[in-house]
This record gives sequence, structure tokens and C-alpha cells, in this order.
Amino acid sequence: MSDIIFEVKDVHYSYLGKFPALCGVDMTIRSGEKIAVIGANGTGKSTLLQLLDGLIFPDRGTVTAFGERLLEHSEVYEKAAHRFRQRVGLVFQNADIQLFCPSVREDIAFGPLQFGVAEGEVNRRILEVADVLDIQHLLERVPHQLSIGEKRRVAIASVLAIDPDVYLFDEPTAGLDPLTVRHIIDFIVNANQRGKTIITATHDLHIIGEIADTVYVFGRNKSIVRGGSSESILNDRSLLESNNLIHIHRHHHDGREHVHQHLPLEPHD
Amino acid sequence: MSNPLHKKHDFIERSILSALAFLKDATLSEEYANRKGFLQSLDPRFKTISFLAFLVTAVSLKSAILISPLYVLCLILALLSRIPLRNFLLRTLFFIPLFSLFIVLPTLFSVVTPGEPLWSFHISGINAIITRPGLDGAVLFVLRVATSVSLVVLLSVTTRHSELLKVLRLFGVPQLFVLTVSMCYRYLYLFATMVENIFTAVKSRVGVVSHQRHGQNVVAWNIANTWNRTTQMSEEVYMAMLSRGYTGEPRLLSKFNATPKDWLWLLSAVVICAFLLYKGYSL
Repeated sequence: MSDIIFEVKDVHYSYLGKFPALCGVDMTIRSGEKIAVIGANGTGKSTLLQLLDGLIFPDRGTVTAFGERLLEHSEVYEKAAHRFRQRVGLVFQNADIQLFCPSVREDIAFGPLQFGVAEGEVNRRILEVADVLDIQHLLERVPHQLSIGEKRRVAIASVLAIDPDVYLFDEPTAGLDPLTVRHIIDFIVNANQRGKTIITATHDLHIIGEIADTVYVFGRNKSIVRGGSSESILNDRSLLESNNLIHIHRHHHDGREHVHQHLPLEPHD
Repeated sequence: MSNPLHKKHDFIERSILSALAFLKDATLSEEYANRKGFLQSLDPRFKTISFLAFLVTAVSLKSAILISPLYVLCLILALLSRIPLRNFLLRTLFFIPLFSLFIVLPTLFSVVTPGEPLWSFHISGINAIITRPGLDGAVLFVLRVATSVSLVVLLSVTTRHSELLKVLRLFGVPQLFVLTVSMCYRYLYLFATMVENIFTAVKSRVGVVSHQRHGQNVVAWNIANTWNRTTQMSEEVYMAMLSRGYTGEPRLLSKFNATPKDWLWLLSAVVICAFLLYKGYSL
């Protein structure tokens, strides 16, 4: 179908040829979808996003983006790479990796400038994205002086300035305070409402209901254990439990301590 | 109470941590560059060119009387740029004994610079004579170094390092070089913090007193670990650059805005330099 953006078929990937990261992943992503990829640490979520962004290439299997197969050193890919990068933006888990310029302003400008956007238009976009993400006061700051939450928002701004069709988010809310989490969720939801395709890798089940309509669960076998609607996945206690995704709480009640699990959609007792 | 054993064994750690603290505080904080002062308000390109002109003038002049107005100008500029004079003098005068005083000391005496004797005294039976040309030469040299160091310090503390690097492009330095140096600079802080954290982590597990050999092992392991992490990070940063359209030929923002004030400043600098050089040749 013409609205298919990514088609991942039987993808296998290993680091240094001996540490498997993905083992037989199949997935189809259509335009305008909100997808979440969940799984415990080390199940291959970040690797999948890097494959979708054309930064690494599968050992076996195929990744097709916008109808063209992503192949390393392929002439077609080299020619299409620039256009592909304009259409797909990845927000890395570690914002320090993404913010490599000496100031926030230059970091936001870096992407559009590489795509040949005129400097006047780049300056207009800087102000626009700074306004959207409420980082106007950070524009002249040096990235290393920012807090984790500020860095994450600047990292998102650096991708937003490119205005891609597809956003790939790698653990966008990890280690952030509740208010910043709220801002990032709002940004993701708004972007999707504007027609952008969103793919988020996370193990924060509390945000899944808002940021995804479809959820893929990655297991210890480095492949998709199950895919389905966010509601069906979040209510499947045995699936989440077997994949180490259930929150476990320890409480004190009436002088006694007890430990229990609970699902994100379940009322907390 | 401080433990002498501790002091003896952790000198490497203390040296590294002190060096990191200096690097972070003095070099990376950009405290003065972020203040609202006269030099901070100038376009970095105009500021750099004018300071280069002052430097060339300072090293070309052969009269201490003519160099001294430049030094006074540095002090006035420091005040106008909201740099505390005490800090500025400490920062500049600290380097003068290091670079000039010891070099210039032998030239004071008649053995190196013969001429009209000013003062003579005996050291271990040797008659030492300080001559007028020796003293004049020494004063000129020390003043020249003091002025040059003051100019360089003023320029570097009132300009953000990223902007100073971008000015390099004026002189034909390729964008790739400017980007690479900017990135090195940007990640210095991150790695300095990382090394500090490693030392704190080691200390929290093994205590503050460690045997010298163990301390050496920790430092060696720290170097290897930092190397591994920087290599890994450089690959990830490259990926992040590729992801945002980098193709090997970087395009960077050229955010400079010259105002009439910048042109006026440059003109004033040229007039001052020309006047001093003219006076210098007339003498």
C-alpha cells in the first residue's frame, strides 16, 4: 500500500558480529501511525530505531523506507539519503550525543543548514521551535550547562527544526521530572495530530496510552513477542510480567509491609 | 586533621582533580563573556581584528613610554567590560614572571648588556653591574609581555569560545576544522565531569587512602576507560550528525551582526595603532 512508510522483514542484527541485538523482526508502519516499541533493557529497541533511521543496516532481512530498500553503500541509498534524512528524524536517548554544537542555537540550526535551508529561514525556524518547546531562554546557552530535561527538549527541537514526516524517539522520558514528561508527551501527541508518524521506544508503561495506538512488545529473544492495540497490550498482565515490564511496588499499610504489581491502566490500591 | 600518608599517596588524584576544576571554572564557565559590558557587546570579528592590531603594535614598538598607553587602555577596557580589576591583574601579572622576568634577568647585567652602569653589588665575590641599557631593555620587554598577555586575556575572557572559533573562518580556516575544534571543546566538560565521577566512585568504594601502586592502577584504568568511552561516544555523535543530514561538508550558522559601534571601534583602534607606530618611528 502507498501509505506504508517502513516495512521491516525478518531483520537480524548483531554487534561486532557476535552479540545479537535483533533476531527476526517483522513490522509494518504506516503514515500517521503512533507506534510504541516496549521491552526490558537490552531487548533491541534502540537498535531498531537506528535501523529505521538508516544509521546501521541489518545482517539479514530487509528494511524498506518510503518504498526503497535501505542498503549500505547502495547508489540508490546514497542519492536518496539526503531526502530520507529530511523525512525521518531520530531523537537519541542520550541528549549529550545529539547536542554536539557549542550552543543551543547552533544545535537547532545544524539540521536545516545541512539540508541547504537558507539562513534567514533557519533563524525563523529556530525561534519557532524554541517557542513550541519553551526554550527561548536557552538559545545562547552552552549545552553542557543545561539540565537533563532542558537537554532533552533542545534535542527534540534540533529534530523539529528539520520538520521530518517521521519522528523516532528513543526513551524520550527516561530520567525526567513529571512536568517535563508532560511537555514531551504533549509534543508527541500534537505532532501526531499534525499528521506526523511517531515511533517511540520506551519501557515507561505509564505514557504508552497517550503516545501510542499500536504497541510492539520486544522480548528477551530480541524479537517481537506480540503486537496490538495499546489497550490490549497494557491489560495483558501475563505478557507484561513475562517480559519484565510490570511495576512492582513496596508499601506500608497499617503497620505492615506488602509488595504488589500493578498495570498502568489498573487503579492503584 | 590531614593525614600525611594520604597527602603523599593521592598527589596524582589531587593534581588531576585540580586541573579538571581549573579547566571547568576558568576555561569553560565563560563567566565574563556572558556579562553585559563594552567588549562583550562588540562583534567578535571586529574585536579580534582590533586586538590583533593592538598586539602587532605592542610587539613592534621599541619604547616603553609608547607601549604603556596600550597597557592603560587594557585596564580601562577591563573596567568597561565589567571584569574586576583585581582578578584581571592577578590573571595577567601571574604569567609575566613566568614568561619574562626570568628570561630578562641576565640582560640587566653588564655581562650581557654593556653600557652606562647604574648599580653594582657583589655576589659570592663576583662584581655584578646593572646597566642603563640593560634596565631599559628589561622594562620594555616586561611591559611588552604584560600588554600582550593582557590583550589576549581580555579577548579570550570577553568572547565566547565558540564565537572565537567561528572568527577563525575569517582567516580561511575550513569549516570542518572549526566544527571539529568546537566539538572537542564542547565535550571537554563532559569528559572532565566523567573523570571526576570515576574518581569519586573509586573513592566511595575503596576509601580515601590507597596505596601508591593501587593509585597508579586506578589512574591507568581511568585513562583506558575514558579512552573506550570517548571512542564509543565519538561513533554515536557521528551517527547523530548523519541523522541530521551531515554529509562530510558541514554548514554552520554565521551569526555575526556588525553595527556602527563596531565600525567606530575598529576605526578608533586603527587610529590608535597608527598614531603609536608613527610616534615610534619618529623617535
